[in-house]
Amino acid sequence: MSIIQQHTAASLSDAWRTLDVDALTEDSSVNFDTSTLHPASSLPETSEADARQINAQVRQLLRGGDAEGALRGCLEMPVYNGSEGAKDTHLQTVIEVLQSIKASDMTPMLQRIYGTPGGSECLDVLMKYLYKGMASTSSGAGGSAPRTPTRMTPQQTGFSQAGGRPAPTESTGAAMSVLLSWHEKVVEVGGLGCIGRTMTDWRRV
Amino acid sequence: MAPPEVHHLFHNPIADHSFSADRKTLAIARDTTVELYSKVGSTYKLIDELKGHDKTVTSVDIAPSSGRIVSCSQDRNALVWEPSPQGYKPTLVLLRINRAATFVRWSPSETKFAVGSGDRLIAICYFEEENDWWVSKHLKKPIRSTITTVAWHPNSVLLAAGSTDAHARVFSSFIKGTDARPDPGVWGERLPFNTVCGEYMNNSAGWVHAVAFSPSGDALAYAAHDSSITVVYPSGPDQPPKAVISINTQLLPFMSLIWNGEAEIIAAGYDCEAFRFKGGVQGWRLSGTLETKGRPGLSDNRDDSALNMFRQMDLRGKAKDDTQLKTVHQNTITMLRPFETSGDSVQKFSSTGVDGRVVIWHT
Repeated sequence: MSIIQQHTAASLSDAWRTLDVDALTEDSSVNFDTSTLHPASSLPETSEADARQINAQVRQLLRGGDAEGALRGCLEMPVYNGSEGAKDTHLQTVIEVLQSIKASDMTPMLQRIYGTPGGSECLDVLMKYLYKGMASTSSGAGGSAPRTPTRMTPQQTGFSQAGGRPAPTESTGAAMSVLLSWHEKVVEVGGLGCIGRTMTDWRRV
Repeated sequence: MAPPEVHHLFHNPIADHSFSADRKTLAIARDTTVELYSKVGSTYKLIDELKGHDKTVTSVDIAPSSGRIVSCSQDRNALVWEPSPQGYKPTLVLLRINRAATFVRWSPSETKFAVGSGDRLIAICYFEEENDWWVSKHLKKPIRSTITTVAWHPNSVLLAAGSTDAHARVFSSFIKGTDARPDPGVWGERLPFNTVCGEYMNNSAGWVHAVAFSPSGDALAYAAHDSSITVVYPSGPDQPPKAVISINTQLLPFMSLIWNGEAEIIAAGYDCEAFRFKGGVQGWRLSGTLETKGRPGLSDNRDDSALNMFRQMDLRGKAKDDTQLKTVHQNTITMLRPFETSGDSVQKFSSTGVDGRVVIWHT
């Protein structure tokens, strides 16, 4: 009797590889709420009204010409625990500040912020908002339009990349270029560690 | 500072390495085997291959005084290799895990060892005389994910572990009959098996790649995938720690770290070079790299002639050959180990990485 006879059709095919064995284990990570690992509820909750108030304060600082104070202000009060509305309001606040700062002022301003205590944390927060901003501007004009691309034409040519995306409008292009140039400057000052922390951090903006 | 001693063994990743106490034998985890190298003159020569695993060997450790080698592998087994006049004899350890074993370390007492695994548990293995067999007890709670690394406290009872659930934890692994009852310390007074003496997570919550107790055992450092190292100073049982100091760096994440005395930590990882951190309970800072800039042998052997420039342009489409990193290691460093110590301070340490090099550094 050779051992080969024990093979069946089921074991010869590789369908068993697609079995999610973790789902069968009682205490595996898929049967377990991983958010309980983080003390998320201990973060202060921000309501939409609070977010608007921050927005008003930041605008006032901007009008007074204190762009650095405005940037610091909105980065020190990120909305980690709040409704989607509050989070979006705060994202708009941050983007407004970023758009109002001249390209030549970016690096010195970031260096000053990084040099102060808690500055590294501020840059991490800024990086999170940059990625959030990119995610929302690329999936709809300015983040307010519907998030699904309206025009999806099948490709005639061999270039699959070009047509799959929604055609960029003037405003999303401008917003994206602001975010991209900030991204470059933040990486220059805060290093690649900044990007890594954006990915690992459980406090989402 | 003397230049580092570089041994390029092969072009495969080195998962883990360990030197024997006399520093003449070097064990290397390569693919499914453990290779033993011996120092001949100034180089390391392959003298033996320990074959017993049938999947990638993830970790290897030589016990300094008994000379026993323990290895663990993705095949879910750990083997203890007993030195004998006829070579090394393997003994299978009853781990009772059904995921890969990821990390193994002998306790300082050498009577037991800890095996981290993907099964969300740590197997504490010890020798049972009456059955003539290595058996294990499981540390399970409250681990929620794969254990990536473990490190022993000098008292051989406390064990630190890092996990992909972003927590670094300190457990008691007290085994009756094997361990002497530990003295009460900052981590706890009574320490029955599976006491959780500490559980720490960063705000930016990366996977924990490395943990290490300070030489006194009264502080714990860990490195995580958020490019940070964190140092914890506990104050006593059931009390919040005296200080938890996190340094977020601008660098890529660190994969391994060692203490050099109580006031210095050396860490290395994806940046392919080792960095020095200095500090104490008041605070820590990154003080610089251990790589010496302008090391001889890096660029002075380049032929800068016009002929060579045009040849390069013709062959590669560019004038400069920039396929080499400016660091000694040419890929991620995955493991640091003390090589030569005196008391609490480390004079030399060794590093291995994905590039197949073993490098011995002066601190």
